[in-house]
Order: sequence, then C-alpha cells, then structure tokens
Amino acid sequence: MTNLTVVELSRLQFALTALYHFLFVPLTLGLSVILAAIETVYVITGKPIYKDMTQFWGKLFGINFALGVATGLTMEFEFGTNWSMYSHFVGDVFGTPLAIEGLMAFFLESTFVGLMIFGWDRLSRPAHLAVTYLVALGSNLSALWILIANGFMQYPVGARFDPDTMRMQFTSLYDLIFSEDAQAKFVHTSIAGFVSAAMFVMGISAYYLLNKRHRAFAARSFRIAALFGLISTLAVITLGDALGRSDYLLQQTKIAAIEGLWHTTKPPYEPWKLVALPDDATQSDVFSIGLPYVLTPLVTHSFTEPIPGIIELEQEARPKIVNGIQAVLALHDYARTRSPEALAAFRKNEDDMGYGLLAQRYAPGQDLAAITKADLPGVVDRTARATIPNVFVEFWSFRIMMALGFAFLAVFAFAAYFSLRNRLERQPWILWLAMLFIPLPVLASEFGWIVAENGRQPWTVFGWLPTFQSASTHSVGYLLFSLIGFALIYTCFIAAELYLMFKYARIGPATGASETPQPAAGPHSADTSGYAEKPWQ
Amino acid sequence: METFIKFVALALILALALFIAVVAGDDGPWYFAWLVGTTMIVLIAAAGAVLLETQSPSGETGSEF
Repeated sequence: MTNLTVVELSRLQFALTALYHFLFVPLTLGLSVILAAIETVYVITGKPIYKDMTQFWGKLFGINFALGVATGLTMEFEFGTNWSMYSHFVGDVFGTPLAIEGLMAFFLESTFVGLMIFGWDRLSRPAHLAVTYLVALGSNLSALWILIANGFMQYPVGARFDPDTMRMQFTSLYDLIFSEDAQAKFVHTSIAGFVSAAMFVMGISAYYLLNKRHRAFAARSFRIAALFGLISTLAVITLGDALGRSDYLLQQTKIAAIEGLWHTTKPPYEPWKLVALPDDATQSDVFSIGLPYVLTPLVTHSFTEPIPGIIELEQEARPKIVNGIQAVLALHDYARTRSPEALAAFRKNEDDMGYGLLAQRYAPGQDLAAITKADLPGVVDRTARATIPNVFVEFWSFRIMMALGFAFLAVFAFAAYFSLRNRLERQPWILWLAMLFIPLPVLASEFGWIVAENGRQPWTVFGWLPTFQSASTHSVGYLLFSLIGFALIYTCFIAAELYLMFKYARIGPATGASETPQPAAGPHSADTSGYAEKPWQ
Repeated sequence: METFIKFVALALILALALFIAVVAGDDGPWYFAWLVGTTMIVLIAAAGAVLLETQSPSGETGSEF
C-alpha cells in the first residue's frame, strides 16, 4: 500500500528544491543573453567601458551560475531516489531530454563559461564574443531540454504505454521535441528569465546612479537593461497568453482552476474574475469581482467558445474512471496470465488507464479488485473530485504572477523612456523603483512554476500516471531527514548568493581597468570614421 | 579567392537559416519566434547603447544621464 505521507513529503521535498533552484535559473538564462548584448556593443564600438560592463556583469553571472548548478544537480538525482516509480514508468522518455541536456547544453555552457570569464587575454574580441554567445545559447538550450521533459509531463506525446514492459515507450522523439506545450513553455520561461536579468542589471545600475557612483557605467547598463526588459516583458505577456491558450486546448482542468471556473462558461458575457476567494471544499466562490466579456476572448481567442467548468469536467471524468478501473484490472490479469483476452480487455480501455490508477487511492485497501458495486459510486465520486488541482492556489498564483508582469511592463516603459531622454537622474523615483523591483521577477517566475506544476496535479504524467503512484517507498523518517537537510543546505546556498551578490555589487565595476580604446571590429572600424575615433572616448 | 570563400560561407549560413525557418515555421513556430525575438531583443538593447553614445559625451562628470 502506498504511504500517502511519504508521497506528500516527497512532493514537498521536490517543490522545495525546485523552488530554491529556480531562484537562480531565471538570472542565468537572461544575464547570459544580456552579456552577449553588451559585448556586442563592445566589439562594434571598441569602447572599453563595454568591456568593463561585460566583465562586471559576467562576474555576477558566474556567482549565480555556480550556485544554480549546485542546486540543480541534486534534482536530477531526486527522480531516482524519491520518484523511482515515476522514473520506471517514463524513464525511457523522460531520461532522453535530460541526458541530452547534460551532454549537449550543460557541457556547452559550462565549458564556455570558463573561457568567457578567464579568456579575455587569450582570445580575440570576435572569438570572445562568439564564446559569450555560446554560453547564452548553452544556458537557454539547457532550459529547452528540461522544459521538453516537463512538456511531456504536462502533455504526454511521442510515447505509448507498453503492457509487456509496464512502462511508457518512445514512439517519436520529434513529437516530444516539437510538443505544443514544450514549445510554449520554453519561450515563456526563457523570456521570463530575460525579464529577471534585465531588472537585476537595471536595479543595480539604479543603485549606482542614486549614489552618483560609476555613472557612465551605470547609465549604459541601465539603458541596455531597460530596453532589453521592456521588449522581453511585452514578449513574456504575449507568450503567456499563448501558453494559456495551449492549456485551454490540452489541460482543461488547469485552465478551469486558474480562472476559478466552477461551471462551464456562457460566452461572450462571462466575466474574468479579477479578485475572488475560491473555496475548494464547497466548490464555489465566497465572493468574486469580475470584468464582463473579458474571459472568453482572453482564453479561447473567440467570442463564442465555452470554457469547461470544474463541475462539468468532474462529470466528464466519471466514465473515464470506470473504464480506467477496468483497464487496470485487465492489466493485472494480463501481467499474471499473458492471455490475449486480458490484453484485448486492456486495449479496449487503455487510454483511460491513468484514471484507474488514480482511483486506486480511493479503493478499499488501495486495491481496485476489492471495489464492490456498493463502493463504486463513492470511489468514482472521490476520484472525479481528485482530478481537479487546488483552485485557490492556482487562482492566486496566476493572478500574482500576472499582476507582477504588468507592473514590470510599466517600470520598464518608464525606465526606457527616461533613459532614452537622458533624464534618469532627474527622476529618482524610477531609480528607486528599479532597485526595489530586483527580486520581483524571480518571484513571478516562482509563481509561474507553481501555476504550471500545481495545475498538473493530480498527475505526474498528465492523464497517465497519478502523483500518488509515482513516489519511492521510503520511510517517513528518511524523507523528513533529507527534507530538513536540503532546506538547510539550500538556505546556505541562498545566503552565499546574497552575500556575494551584495558584496560585488557594492564594490562595483573596475572602471578604468581597460582604458585604452580598442579599434572597433564592426561596421565602424578604426580606419573609417566611427565610434572608436570619437574625441570623447 | 577569399571573397569567394566568404560568399560561399555566407550563402551556406543563409541556406541553413532558411532551412531552420521552414522547419521551425511549420512544426516549431514558438521556437522560431524565440530565435527571431531573442535576436531582436539583443539588437534593440545594443542599439540603445549605441544611441546613448551619440546623445551625450561619456564620463563621470559633465554629462547628464
């Protein structure tokens, strides 16, 4: 019998380690690309200040990268230690993108990050620029493969369950890579990292401008970050809409929970709930304030399509649960007898097998064979209810993430406007705001992760494998011990990150370290009239 | 000869870009959007810095940011 406390502790441990790890990831994804942008300006103009900028932000990138790697490595092992049933079930499919991530993206990234940080005196400027671009590419490719793996959990394509091996087998790597969910998730997550990094660079630059230190350095960093952040925020909002549309088509329980939809909508009037207090227990709102006519076009991109509500989705799940129970019982029979009749019985309902596995949680003694006719309606009721993720968490995590996204858009828009007009120092409020906003994009990314992963519940592989069937059979004591250990170690990592970031941000850039103007390598080369020849260099 | 090699190299890059655009455009529209979008973001951010160089003299003093 599955110990549900062990499952909950395993979930808590994974959530904790993932949330800690994700404090570092967005900055790595975005800062690597900002470094490439800054170094591009250095190579084009030949102005040493851009080299100083690349080196300074590169140092902060290095600190973040090292701690991000340290917190990320343990997560891959957790799949084996804490989620061995899951790893057995989908290891062939899930392991492939993770292996490619390690061998291709992570090796690319970690090899070239050394050259980027230590190779300034050993590489030509174009070669160093190429290295910086490769680091940026490697970082984002790393995220791509992880999110392809995650995309499979959200929308399992490219694989089929094999009753002989009792696991999912690959049918198409191509389908896995080009999965609609993986695509939408990658672009949204990666660009959210760009927003985090832009706010980080802009906030620290604002600190220097407010303190009248490193002004030339800070103004340039601020300008690049503000424009980078403004366009990235516009992109992340647009791509978030695409991801929502994808969820509407592929994960209707998630979109219903995000919008707190207890009943199927009546287009086009249906209001979008701006604020509400959803109560999961009674499946109703304590109160809600909505904007009429907004929800239908927002989610469906039409004025006529209804969005299925939670109560109706539970009803839709009921026949699947009954079929799923038949499928699992036939599978057990096939495992024992290998008879063609048992296989045929399984094949008849195999698409609903996951619902049968989910029903096992509510069967007497977690044994589907023990369900009597009298038990069945109760088991189906409880299983149907369990197919819906926690609505309160989903509803509010989404709204906090979205509100933060629009706040970033406003901050970046004002910042870019004042920077482009060279009026930043006359507007200290925007500098203060930029500084105070530094941690918020990372927080928004964390809420985004909660929306994605809480919304996938009760599944580890959507529709195929329930979370409660995925964990290893550890003892509660073992999990508590490792959970506390992880929490302590990861808190130390966060403390180290904050200490080092504050320390080097306070010290500031080594301006003047490279004072001699370099001939420009771009269109404005040294032998033509260009930036490298301006008298004010 | 050097010009010819450059021409061939650039033609190959162009062909590769078109190939990626066709494949990604059909099956991976969001991946394609990421490639184009990230390039645009980098270029616009870099252009903003280059613009700053034309707006005011550099240096810690004597200029307003």
